[in-house]
Amino acid sequence: MTPPAGAVMVEEVMGTVVSIHAHGHAAADAQQAMAAAIARMRDDERVFSTFRHDSDISRLRDGTRTLQDVDPRILEVRERCLALREQTGGRFDAWWRGWFDPTGLVKGWATERAARAELEPLLDRPGIHAVGINAGGDLQVFTAPGADWVWRVGIADPLHHGTLLATVELVNGAVATSGTAERGAHLIDPAAGQPVASGIGATVVADALTDADAWATVAAIAGITDLSWVPAAPAGVRSGLVSDGTRTRRWAGGVEVTAASSPWLTTSPCSG
Amino acid sequence: MKKIVYWVMATVTGVVLLFSYRTSLGADLTATTTPDTVSSPDSLASPDTSTGDGGAPSKSDGGGATSSQDSSVSGFVDGSYTGSAARTRYGDVQVQITVSGGRITDVQVPVYPDANGRDRQINAHAIPQLVAETTEAQNADIQMVSGATYTSSGYTQSLQSALDQARA
Repeated sequence: MTPPAGAVMVEEVMGTVVSIHAHGHAAADAQQAMAAAIARMRDDERVFSTFRHDSDISRLRDGTRTLQDVDPRILEVRERCLALREQTGGRFDAWWRGWFDPTGLVKGWATERAARAELEPLLDRPGIHAVGINAGGDLQVFTAPGADWVWRVGIADPLHHGTLLATVELVNGAVATSGTAERGAHLIDPAAGQPVASGIGATVVADALTDADAWATVAAIAGITDLSWVPAAPAGVRSGLVSDGTRTRRWAGGVEVTAASSPWLTTSPCSG
Repeated sequence: MKKIVYWVMATVTGVVLLFSYRTSLGADLTATTTPDTVSSPDSLASPDTSTGDGGAPSKSDGGGATSSQDSSVSGFVDGSYTGSAARTRYGDVQVQITVSGGRITDVQVPVYPDANGRDRQINAHAIPQLVAETTEAQNADIQMVSGATYTSSGYTQSLQSALDQARA
């Protein structure tokens, strides 16, 4: 078993729970940086929350603010959303409601941004060799150069609570999962304007959590039958899987990977 | 899209992994390799040899009851098999499978394209490895769980919550 983490912080942010882990004998010293990461995410929530009428995103929607006088973070996220809409052929569309709603990107973006600003620098300290953050199932992990450490990440089975569908090992990188299992049909297919069919879970492994989060959404919307978007994903999007409860498909490096027994040869060496 | 398919097939002398890659032009690039690593080559080449390894195929399995094993995969000999690298537009791709109890229990891609230099070796393992059987998180030696977003109240029932408590 992995030895206990030196430090764990768990806080509610953005309607979910954020867990931060640090590993190493001096991990207890990471508490201040962990709190700073949480604070950054809460401030992002203040700017981006569509539930708060005084947020920049709500004021932009209501027309009481323009792109010229909103928080610059809105512009940064907007650029990402514009690029994603282009890259995904409209499968990721922050404007599908008729106004700019970047909710589908903000959690991953805010988590990655907080992690890079507050957590990744912890690895420069002696005694901390790994640090990671998980925001409601979307996570980014870091490991100090040369450290004898590999993160093992479980991918929850979307239909069988408490069990895993797969595991993935990472030194540095991000894993995000999008699906309909935990919160019901909250995923909207922008093209159809309707919720995605239930029972779909899609996981994406990427260098950066913003990408992993966005492309996991794309994967879930595309569903089990459609992997045509895979080659269009940028280089930092490494691999992933999509499952509908009965079937799981995987891809890596832009290609699907499948295993099957030979369809034409059934000779057994044991029965002769 | 491009697709990599690989088959496992049994022969009289052992198991050969057939690695096939269909290019965008429709031509097949096929390579075969001999079994590699983990399982003793002797037991593969000569199934009659008794190795005393519980994981090795036993002759009695081939005869009588048999139903405990999936007959559709009864030809697989336990072991780990590595295919030769196939060149794709994205770089070299190589696959490895593990067979246990006559079933494919794991598929890995020890080499797959990735431009990230520093993490190249580890990232070679960054493809999700399917868990062969229902696995509880507590038994999987994991530090974090990725899953569809849970609500604040849903967190208490989540695997991540259990992991947080175990390591706090």
